[in-house]
Amino acid sequence: MSAPRMEVHAFGLRFANPVLTASGTFGYGSELAGSCPLTALGGLVTKGISLAPRAGNPEPRICETAAGMLNSIGLANVGLRAFLEEKLPFLRDCGTRVLVNFFGETEDDYLRCAEGLSGHGPGIDGLELNISCPNVKAGGLEFGVVPEVAGRLCERVRGATDLPLVVKLTPNVTDVVALARACVQGGASGLSLINTLRGMAIDARTRRPRLARVFGGLSGPAIKPVALRLVHEVARARLGVPIIGIGGIMSGEDAAEFLLAGATLVQVGTASFVRPDAAARVAEELLGYCAAQQVSDVSELTGALA
Amino acid sequence: MRFFTAKVVESQDLGGAYSWLCLEGCEALAAASPGQFAMLRGWPGHDPLLSRAFSVLSTGPGTAEFLIRRVGRGSGLLGAARPGDPIRVVGPLGRGFPVATPEVTELLVAGGCGLAPLYFAARRAQAEGRRVRLLYGARQSCELVLADVLRARGVELQTATEDGSAGERGLVTALLERELAASTAGLRVLACGPEPMLRATREVARRHGVPCFLSLESPMACGVGACLGCAIPARDRPFLYVCKDGPVFAAEEVWP
Ligand SMILES: Cc1cc2nc3c(=O)[nH]c(=O)nc-3n(C[C@H](O)[C@H](O)[C@H](O)COP(=O)(O)OP(=O)(O)OC[C@H]3O[C@@H](n4cnc5c(N)ncnc54)[C@H](O)[C@@H]3O)c2cc1C
Ligand SMILES: Cc1cc2nc3c(=O)[nH]c(=O)nc-3n(C[C@H](O)[C@H](O)[C@H](O)COP(=O)(O)O)c2cc1C
Ligand code: FES
Repeated sequence: MSAPRMEVHAFGLRFANPVLTASGTFGYGSELAGSCPLTALGGLVTKGISLAPRAGNPEPRICETAAGMLNSIGLANVGLRAFLEEKLPFLRDCGTRVLVNFFGETEDDYLRCAEGLSGHGPGIDGLELNISCPNVKAGGLEFGVVPEVAGRLCERVRGATDLPLVVKLTPNVTDVVALARACVQGGASGLSLINTLRGMAIDARTRRPRLARVFGGLSGPAIKPVALRLVHEVARARLGVPIIGIGGIMSGEDAAEFLLAGATLVQVGTASFVRPDAAARVAEELLGYCAAQQVSDVSELTGALA
Repeated sequence: MRFFTAKVVESQDLGGAYSWLCLEGCEALAAASPGQFAMLRGWPGHDPLLSRAFSVLSTGPGTAEFLIRRVGRGSGLLGAARPGDPIRVVGPLGRGFPVATPEVTELLVAGGCGLAPLYFAARRAQAEGRRVRLLYGARQSCELVLADVLRARGVELQTATEDGSAGERGLVTALLERELAASTAGLRVLACGPEPMLRATREVARRHGVPCFLSLESPMACGVGACLGCAIPARDRPFLYVCKDGPVFAAEEVWP
């Protein structure tokens, strides 16, 4: 049998394979490029960008938990302008697809950021809209929890850019399908899920929370079952856009599980901290899985749950 | 920075919850300078999930040594590693101590497992024929690990313990105060240890007008500047990152 076909098409883009890196776990692309060959990836997603630079939260910002970690980085980033001037040149011919993750605290922030990231040609192939961010005007409630709010944001951002627009959903909601549907009706080209699960860790001896901000986002192998369930729920709703599955992927088989649950692409996050070449290895292992399972085209796996 | 699998050639329990670990297959660490570190994991699977940061203690042909204080699960597993065990390594990482010119005399101040980068600095200074002095403090004598090795190798060493079981009774910063009161000419202070000790060291050096460099710790996920988890408050901007801007900082750069 010839080698399995790993190429996938989604949102009008061709990806060399279905494995991307997840936002916030691979810097702006150059940090880990020396240890993780970018050409071995389907693509990379940058750290979340906002209009103005953000310093981030007080420390401690991270702590390890059972088979996972909590983070409250606070969306620290260099801001739109420095991203375009200092980070984009590297991404222009980095050898893989680039999705730029972005967010705002008001609708206007989101719009201006989307506009600012558009029209640069190579280096930005698509946008990933992070809606799990506190809405300052709505008293800090996340944009991503009320379907009408999320749908309206998507609609407005859709009008501000011609780039493929993937909307990244938070798992911290009761009805993920309602949110997903609102985003697709608002014009989302695809959906990525999941972002981190809200969590907390306490040091019993000092009686203190382990994170300065008390609550943080849980990621890593611990969240995989929850992520698979959410991906599958959204896939079963057949909303007509590709899904990017994210959450605790450490191996090629983990990636295959997300494809079977209904995803077209996957992202590897926390695993890149465990070993910098994790995403490239997941891609390689997925190829091995396909060969062993006599899958001739990786796209056959999407939604192929028995 | 490289990512590779090394192998334990020798491991020793030094007492006082310290282990000494010698790895082979570490050619990539040959270029490490004192103060730089590596992310290590010596266990299969995902428990613990993240690798752990350790300062390079010294390097030899193809080898690298580490001093491990066993404080939890990750350091416990590394400390218990046996010859032949594979250890995954990312390194060398971070910014080490500034390069010393021949006119500079380094005064090294170590607290507990903060010895590791200063041991490396002391050996480097000796190799380059520069005079170097080390002030080394711990809670009790059994925690003054490798002091005998350093003495045997001719490093000028003064020790202090909080319980008075070895060296002078008291804190290592008292030794520093006395040294700086005697003379400050051409001196540069390099320090590593618990945060209260580093803050006190900075204060003593500042009072005597001596340049001071601190090697800091913080929780780390990636060690390479990708996660932004290792922030520490800084003077000229809100935060610096221990893994890429440090772990060695000029004392006045941090903790405003
Ligand atoms: C740049 C850098 C260089 C380092 N160099 C060395 C070195 O050369 N030798 C060495 O022994 N250690 C060094 N450390 C500290 C080492 O990384 C930690 O002790 C280790 O990560 C603890 O992991 P664990 O799984 O054993 O403990 P965990 O299970 O993570 O923690 C167990 C307990 O230990 C406490 N703890 C965690 N970190 C530390 C710490 N840094 N110091 C004291 N207690 C802690 C925790 O609060 C907890 O109560 C360095 C750290 C950094 C950031
Ligand atoms: C340290 C850290 C920083 C993150 N930063 C972002 C971010 O800026 N934007 C975003 O949309 N998601 C961010 N995430 C979420 C990840 O992209 C991913 O959705 C989540 O970690 C789950 O995947 P994993 O279990 O493979 O890590 C971050 C995650 C971590 C651990
Ligand atoms: S440990 Fe990840 S940025 Fe420093």
